[in-house]
Amino acid sequence: MNEPLTLLLLGFAILILVFVLVKPESGIISLLLKNKNANQKTLLEDALKFIYNCEYNKINCTLNSIAGNLNISADAAAGIVAKLQNMGLIQVDRDYLTLTSEGKSYALRVIRVHRLWEKFLADETSMTEKDWHKAAEEIEHKLSVEETEKLAAQIGNPVFDPHGDPIPTAEGELPEKAGKHLTEMKPGEIATIIHIEDEPHAIYSQILAEGLYPGMQIRMIEVNDRRVKFEANGEECILSPLIAKSITIGPIKFEKPVEGKLKTLSHLKVGEKGVVLGIAKSLRGQQRRRLMDLGIVPGTEIEAELESISGDPVAYRVRGATIALRKDQADKIYLVKEEEKN
Amino acid sequence: MEKILDQREKIISEANKFRWELGENLHDILMENIYENAAEIAKKAVKYPDKEIAFSFDRTLDKILTSKYLGFPLMFIMLGVVFWLTIQGSNYPSGLLSNLLVDTIHPVLRSFAANIGFPWWLSGVLIDGAYLSMAWVVSVMLPPMAIFFPLYTLLEDFGYLPRVAFNMDPLYKKVGAHGRQALTMAMGFGCNAAGVIATRVIDSPRERLIAIITNNFSLCNGRWPTQILIATVFIGSAVPAYLAGIVSAAAVVFIAVLGIIFSLLVSWFLSRSLLKGEASAFSLELPPYRPPRVLQTLYTSLIDRTIFVLWRAVVFSVPAGMLIWLVANVTIDGVSLANHFIQYVNPIAFVFGLNGVIFLAYIIAIPANEIVIPTILMLTVANLGIQGVGAGSGVMFELESSADVAAILQAGGWTILTGINLMLFSLLHNPCSTTIFTIYKETRSWKWTLVSTFLPIAMGLTITFFVTQIWRLVTN
Repeated sequence: MNEPLTLLLLGFAILILVFVLVKPESGIISLLLKNKNANQKTLLEDALKFIYNCEYNKINCTLNSIAGNLNISADAAAGIVAKLQNMGLIQVDRDYLTLTSEGKSYALRVIRVHRLWEKFLADETSMTEKDWHKAAEEIEHKLSVEETEKLAAQIGNPVFDPHGDPIPTAEGELPEKAGKHLTEMKPGEIATIIHIEDEPHAIYSQILAEGLYPGMQIRMIEVNDRRVKFEANGEECILSPLIAKSITIGPIKFEKPVEGKLKTLSHLKVGEKGVVLGIAKSLRGQQRRRLMDLGIVPGTEIEAELESISGDPVAYRVRGATIALRKDQADKIYLVKEEEKN
Repeated sequence: MEKILDQREKIISEANKFRWELGENLHDILMENIYENAAEIAKKAVKYPDKEIAFSFDRTLDKILTSKYLGFPLMFIMLGVVFWLTIQGSNYPSGLLSNLLVDTIHPVLRSFAANIGFPWWLSGVLIDGAYLSMAWVVSVMLPPMAIFFPLYTLLEDFGYLPRVAFNMDPLYKKVGAHGRQALTMAMGFGCNAAGVIATRVIDSPRERLIAIITNNFSLCNGRWPTQILIATVFIGSAVPAYLAGIVSAAAVVFIAVLGIIFSLLVSWFLSRSLLKGEASAFSLELPPYRPPRVLQTLYTSLIDRTIFVLWRAVVFSVPAGMLIWLVANVTIDGVSLANHFIQYVNPIAFVFGLNGVIFLAYIIAIPANEIVIPTILMLTVANLGIQGVGAGSGVMFELESSADVAAILQAGGWTILTGINLMLFSLLHNPCSTTIFTIYKETRSWKWTLVSTFLPIAMGLTITFFVTQIWRLVTN
């Protein structure tokens, strides 16, 4: 038994076994947990949510579209629909499915948890946009009503999730759908992004890759069947109409209109000065509050003072203090350079 | 009353509907306006005379300390000087304290106990166990800490340490940590418990947890002597005599560097797995340079850091000292508990290239790494039944010459492989109880305390296991 070679091989075998067991996402333990989650309740609630979304977006909902959305067979979808009908949550009108009032309030409860959780993840953790939706898909079937209200109170009863979707109230109220698609804008028109649809994932990640987020100002340049060309916070951006449909825009309310291309803090060279215009909306929660606490708010004069050995982070002079910021933060602070102002 | 409440609810729900119409940005815009107004008022009312002169001096110094060619060399020189002063400077006072507490007071207490008729077991538990382990901890821990902490605090007070964090940040950014972790890591070379407390300067929750969990990979003051002794005894003696000094020093430095590499790797791993979701916010203030306030620094670093950590260590060392004495003296069927345990664990320990004595020593000497070697010596002698070395069963001791240590350990069946594995295991094992307790105090979470305790043990056992098997394969 004490043969080194045998032990060595045994050791490697154990290492591999542990790796296979606990690997995140695709490890056996996390797969088992996932399967446990994919039970009847989850399917029922997901179906309700889907039917609700169809109604909200004024699309007809059929058995086939449910099967497609939940990624299950048509037979299984029929079983789910029958069950929901028995529970009095939906009614079937010819081929189309609609929610009863109980069904609607059930669906809104699930959606409320989902959107609250996304808001929580965006503001209070360092999870990235890509992971919010997936995490919320799991938690929405788990939180009780009390836990949901505790969560809402803890994060200040927000009314919008980080994608710009309204969060239903505890009483199940939700405003009418607002805004219009990006593709409905006319050249020269100015607006703000109010919502970015996070499903399907492939389209959402393309929008993320372009650096677009709710709160950005849009100036439309060109819109036709082949492409949509616009400026987002002064940065030129081209999308295909299919992708642009996932973006909803609304009128500008309190924000000052952006003129021309915005410079970011990371463009300042050592010794150059600028005046802060604002912090990008994609910098959220604690990070955003920290920067504001340091006095990085519109109107603050800021000067690049010192580069570290590798050029990142850079130290900036803000209100008499020297603060080092990393490049990915400086990329999200907009400003006007000193000499351009004069 | 009912009516009023009802009305209130109505108003709130009306107000909530307006929140949807106002959109998401309202809060931020309000806050920005408040700041803007405040800044406007301050601009009119506040003047800053004479600020520019001091500022230009700061700027010049900053240019040097963070320059491409001088930045890192200056940093290594400064930290090197601090460590050198600590190691050299603490030799003499440590000897003095040990002379007083261990060599002088201990025998006095013993004969006093014998004179007033203490039963042998009571004087054993209290004097050979509790008192001796406390005396040992104080004499080896106090001097290096009393030198290291003030020096470190002086650099901090002067304003140099934030510049180190500034320079080191890119490396730490890559592994998902905060540049200030470089500072808490350096502090960990003095004492892990103090390093864990020092993580308070990291204001981002996720990065702070990473710094706490990985602090144990800094080879602390209590482990340097173990590393040096074992390297001299086993590695130095394996090479020609004229190389012995350099090679054993290189082996110790290698272990310390290995610790730094592990701390970076584990930071990388944690920030991408267990701690993925924790909040994170980076900012690093570079305060103006100022002449350090020497007296105040001495006072606060002695009271807040040295005495504080020492007290925690002493509190833990008293019960552990009793335990050490008891396992060596309580017998079942004429064999001490320690020997039972050692017999039982030896075959398992063999797989990891260690032995039962080492395992037992690391379990009962948990209060401080400083007493691991004395405990190992005592257990080895007791286990082999060697006569004439040490001061009796259950009494920790140290030997003047490393040749004597070598003789005892080799009699205990140690080889160069045991030596190497002990050096690795000394780097990668659970933090001392003082540090574990401090981690709990700082995180208030059993989960993270357990992770920081057991993660290094798992790593240590894995690495010694593979080193052992490969070594045996190659040498057979």
